Amino acid sequence: MVSRKVFSGALRAERRTRKVGSGIEFADHRTYARGDDFRYIDWNLYGRLDKLLLRLFEEEEDLSIYILVDVSDSMAIGQPLPKLHYAMQIGAALTYVGLANLDRVAIIPFADRLIDRLPPSRGKNRIFRVFEFLKSCGIGGKTELAECMKTFVTQNKRRGLAVVISDFYDPDGFEQGLNTLRYNKFEPFVLQVYDKREAEPSLAGDLELVDCETGDVREVTVSKSLLEAYQREHERYCKQLEAYCTKYAMPFFRTHTSIPFDELVLKIFRSGGFLR
Amino acid sequence: MSFLGPIPFAVWAAVAGGAALLAVSAYIIKMRRRRFEVPFSHLWQRVLDQKDANALWKQLKRLISLLLMLLILGLILFAALDPTLGGVSRKARNVVVLIDASASMKAMDGDEEGTRSRLDIAKERAKALIDSMGGGDLALVMKVDGQATPMSRFSSDAPMLNKIIDGITASDTPADLTRALGAAADALRDRPNPLIVLVSDGAFPEPQLALVSWEPAVPPAPDPAAEGRGAPGATTGATAAAKAAWSTKNLATVDLSNIDVRYVPVGRRSDNVGVIAFNVRRYLANKAAYEVYVEVQNFGTEPARRQLRLYNGSTNVDSKTIDLAPGERKAEVYKELPASDDNKLRVSLQPADVDPASGINGSDPFPLDDEAYALLPARKKQKVLMVTEDNLFLEAAMLVYDNVEQFKVTPAEYDAKPSLADGMDVVIFDEHTPAVVPPPPASLLYFHPTGPHTPVAIRRELPSPRVTEIDEDHPVMRWITMSDVYMDKSNVFAVDPRQGESALAYSVRDPIIAAKRDGKRKIVAVGFSLPSEGRDGATDMPMRVAFPMLLVNTLDWFAGMSADLLTTYPTGQRERVPLDGVVGATEAEVKGPDGAITNVPVIDGLATFYGARVGYYDLTAKDALGRPMAQLELAANLASPAESDIAPSSELSLGGKALAAPEAFAISRSQKLWIFLLLIAMTLIVVEWVTYHRRITV
Repeated sequence: MVSRKVFSGALRAERRTRKVGSGIEFADHRTYARGDDFRYIDWNLYGRLDKLLLRLFEEEEDLSIYILVDVSDSMAIGQPLPKLHYAMQIGAALTYVGLANLDRVAIIPFADRLIDRLPPSRGKNRIFRVFEFLKSCGIGGKTELAECMKTFVTQNKRRGLAVVISDFYDPDGFEQGLNTLRYNKFEPFVLQVYDKREAEPSLAGDLELVDCETGDVREVTVSKSLLEAYQREHERYCKQLEAYCTKYAMPFFRTHTSIPFDELVLKIFRSGGFLR
Repeated sequence: MSFLGPIPFAVWAAVAGGAALLAVSAYIIKMRRRRFEVPFSHLWQRVLDQKDANALWKQLKRLISLLLMLLILGLILFAALDPTLGGVSRKARNVVVLIDASASMKAMDGDEEGTRSRLDIAKERAKALIDSMGGGDLALVMKVDGQATPMSRFSSDAPMLNKIIDGITASDTPADLTRALGAAADALRDRPNPLIVLVSDGAFPEPQLALVSWEPAVPPAPDPAAEGRGAPGATTGATAAAKAAWSTKNLATVDLSNIDVRYVPVGRRSDNVGVIAFNVRRYLANKAAYEVYVEVQNFGTEPARRQLRLYNGSTNVDSKTIDLAPGERKAEVYKELPASDDNKLRVSLQPADVDPASGINGSDPFPLDDEAYALLPARKKQKVLMVTEDNLFLEAAMLVYDNVEQFKVTPAEYDAKPSLADGMDVVIFDEHTPAVVPPPPASLLYFHPTGPHTPVAIRRELPSPRVTEIDEDHPVMRWITMSDVYMDKSNVFAVDPRQGESALAYSVRDPIIAAKRDGKRKIVAVGFSLPSEGRDGATDMPMRVAFPMLLVNTLDWFAGMSADLLTTYPTGQRERVPLDGVVGATEAEVKGPDGAITNVPVIDGLATFYGARVGYYDLTAKDALGRPMAQLELAANLASPAESDIAPSSELSLGGKALAAPEAFAISRSQKLWIFLLLIAMTLIVVEWVTYHRRITV
């Protein structure tokens, strides 16, 4: 997983940090000071310049990755499989990539609050625990992105990559939630999942539309023009989210459940620069 | 505009109000909608907020939809009132169209060229009348010939009525106007604005035209003066007589009170020469010859010349040219004509070759009365075989009848060789009842049959019988008196009518002479013996005049001849035809000249016959099981001077009142609107349906 920022890690790992230490990548020279380890003196330079200079190496540490999965009621909608299923598949895949890269990966399902939490862990062998966690995590509730992100940044002091997998159907808007991540030095990675049928519904006649999260009821007589207007509005909403992410340099991906998730992970994320 | 619907206005108003209320309620009541779960109604909200900018137009559309529905409802309810345009000034009428389909309507003078008949023109006029009917008018088409036949019910369906009129054909009978007017008046009874339109040439007998009453019949009131005098018996008698006279008169007349009767004349020419009588008879003395009587009349107003030809079968017996002055009736008698095997006689009037400039009429447009038909009972010398020991009484009696060829064999010779009777028309068994009898059609006469082969079952032997009753209606017993005939003894027959047997003479209740029809042959059995040498039974019957009469009658009956047998009947009249001694028939099948077969009942040996066509008819009598019993031929002729007088009457007077023509056939110009209203309603329903389903009006 590519992180554009460089975060300081806790353990030695495979990610460069700003720290100069015992890595293998050469970083710089500095003047020898008393007490330094003789093993890092660059004797070649001493022969040419007659100065004792010390070779510095980049420290390689791990990265904290937070997979934030929206498990609100709106994610339970979708045909033939709900969006949540698709989101969990993506979350599990990304978790595995992170674990394989010796990063610290945590999974946090959220809806109107942070519902549960899989603590940061490392190592590929933890992937089964991830599966069990995803299987057993509770779902339901309204989407309250801002509140959840506020709680998240409070609870997680170690900065890192925050992958938000959601449909972003929040009546209060997505901006505040994403801004909370940005302001607290997390790098948000926005992954919007939607079902094609909710973007282009095949409805007709006199209907009573019920919001699955809020329970709001709206009577409509669906005509062709109304359907077209809705499709435009949905597209506009998605474009708003994309434009917002682009504006603030947040990686953004939009996918629908008809795209096989392995193709999404292996090809689309890689071509989009999210995975290396 | 008038409203002719059957629904009372109050009921209609209640229904209309209820329906309107229902329609409005349907728009007010909240529609039950299908629930659908969406993940983010916020987006729908935004879309609907934009749409709500057009809320006024949306409400307006809904209002338009409601108004459209109310309009549809209004149109349907308005149609239920049966609104009729133009019916205010003239109320709907009930019309009976009487189409004269009598024989005279076959006259080919419908147009100048003579290619169309009067009936064609009459049907054309009647259809024009039907086509001019308004929506509220109802018409019934009735065919008038010898009978009055309603061809439809009261209907406003002009195409259907026109089709019925097209199907009417003229018959060969005179018209029975009285019956038709009576039927029409009955049909119009209690119907508003009754109207009878008679489309005819007016060729009706004067008596029929007079049998009409334009005023309601009122029974005679009792005479108060007679009552006051206190003579109750006399008063009652006078009143009853007056009432009887009144009833007789009024039963015969047709009550046309309050009925408007109009007349549409058809026909152009009046020149016609026709056969008005055609009769044929045999001579009593010489039945091998016959006499023919033909009467023709010129009904035209100018002299006429025709070829009068008489045919026996296809043989032209006589041909002559006859000249007739205007209105002249001429009778022709053909005497001593020799009979042949063909019994069909026909007389024909054929056009004569005349100079058109001579002013003599050579042909006429009415061919139906130019031919007449008659039947002569087939007559030939009968071969009679007498199976008898020398019986002088029998042989002597046979001598009086010169129309027979006699043969004689003894019973022993007959028994030895029954084929001796082959080819004989009649076999007389005198005191002999053989086991083998000649096959039909040979007829058989038995004197004193005995034993198991008797033609009619014998019940017992009766000593000293006296003839107390004879069947005078049977051809065999005609002109015979046997009341003082003496006989020693006689067999009594067990007559079974189911076997076609009938008793001709009784001794009290015991039949002693019986007749039988056995398929194609006839049998007469006499229960007593004729006197002869060596016989113990004796009768003085051969000494009586009745004996040769009995023999002659029997032989004539066997030959199918009767001096007064009528075989010619007029068309258009219901006649009762005697079936020539056929007993046990219950039904007869009548096959007409056109091949049409009808079944008629036979009651008391009389078949009901109604000839609608001129020509020859075959009548087959049948028993209860439908088996044919006997065949009879009949001839039917127009024989109606009134019908042959084809002069069209431009005016017709019924019961002293001249009938006016219909007012240019404009009976009523009303126009029904309900069909148009329903069409508009249906169109609006389609528009509403399409716009609703295209989500235009929602």
